[in-house]
Amino acid sequence: MKVSGSYTLPLPPERAYQMMQDPEVLTRAIPGCQGLEKMGEGEYHLKMKMVLASLSGAFEGSVRITDQNPPSSFRLVVAGSGRIGFVEGDGLLKLSAADGGTEVSYEGDAQVGGTIAAVGQRLIDGTAKMMIKKFFEKLAEAAG
Amino acid sequence: MIAQKFEYTAPRTLDEALHLLAAGAKPLAGGMSLIPMMKLRLAAPEHLVDLGKLKDLNYVHEADGALRIGATATHTDLESSPILRAKCPLLAETAAAIGDVQVRNMGTIGGSVAHADPAADYPAALQALEAKLVLKGSKSERIVTAADFFVDAFTTSLQPSEIICEVIVPMETAGTGTSYQKMPQPASGFAIVGVAARVRRSAGKIALVRIAVTGLSNRAYRAAAAEQTLEGKVGSAAETQNAAALVSQGVDANSDLHASAEFRRHLAVVHAARALTVALARTA
Repeated sequence: MKVSGSYTLPLPPERAYQMMQDPEVLTRAIPGCQGLEKMGEGEYHLKMKMVLASLSGAFEGSVRITDQNPPSSFRLVVAGSGRIGFVEGDGLLKLSAADGGTEVSYEGDAQVGGTIAAVGQRLIDGTAKMMIKKFFEKLAEAAG
Repeated sequence: MIAQKFEYTAPRTLDEALHLLAAGAKPLAGGMSLIPMMKLRLAAPEHLVDLGKLKDLNYVHEADGALRIGATATHTDLESSPILRAKCPLLAETAAAIGDVQVRNMGTIGGSVAHADPAADYPAALQALEAKLVLKGSKSERIVTAADFFVDAFTTSLQPSEIICEVIVPMETAGTGTSYQKMPQPASGFAIVGVAARVRRSAGKIALVRIAVTGLSNRAYRAAAAEQTLEGKVGSAAETQNAAALVSQGVDANSDLHASAEFRRHLAVVHAARALTVALARTA
């Protein structure tokens, strides 16, 4: 599944970039995040609980930040699994100054497998979009 | 598959149900969404409160110039309700378009809107009707508009401690025509795209037009630009097409194995044109 879009944060690019690498900010911004532990340089262990209407599931996995090019781009590599399925993804985030804020555009590819993929195909695209939107909204909130 | 072990309570009164919800239980209505999720173990609630035994919540009647629908009314109840068919045919037509007979016999309007599936049929009709929902908590009661109720995919403004008690829809006046047109996913019956149109003609001109789209994106929405172009017009075929062409503009369309985002946008335009054409014909 391709994932792409953009979101404008009310922050200068340097600050936006810094916030997106800050485990404390990310813990608050990632929907359902229950813990983000630093394992090494740019490498984190993530625990999250997703609650979506009647669907709920715990996920655990790793987040890696590579190809760091502050303040204009970085690559995010995510791998996680839980009882209801697994997800592996890889995306490039680009930051550019726009109207006193920062436009973050992202483009990536994600593979979803397990029960959720077998029976909930039509739920995946919408859910992914909603979680990305929530993440940026929380990030903008943390900035304010 | 078999669901995980869970507690089950079937209260007879709303107060009892609200009390159980406050203690962390999960409400069960018709079970047409929650039970399959539990059987697949995508959901594992520890305690279910069955709202199906709350017979006081199953009704369709007129009060204070509007139609009031109890939340546990099934889709079959709605499609076969004489007063709904006469006074608010859009909702009866939408109920008849849901899933299959088995789903319509079990599924309820309250359960469906609480679940807020982005491909559900009611959200389009309820927004075109500018419906309101009555939400009750153990110490609170509030009324929210359908537009404010549906927040995102599977996300509503309903709090975990609240129960949807009633849906309020307007009674249509003379000169109003409505229609719901959908492209169902053949296996599930869910709307790949569904469009509800509601038009009122006065002295040959369109005095009111409401167009709402479901299935296209995460949240059903009113197509404001399309509505504006039609207002005050006579509703010719060309005007209808022009308006329909605007319904999917600027919408972040979803994509899945059943339909790409581009195809969904196209379907929205086609079904908007159909819904408007039928609704306009019914204004006579």
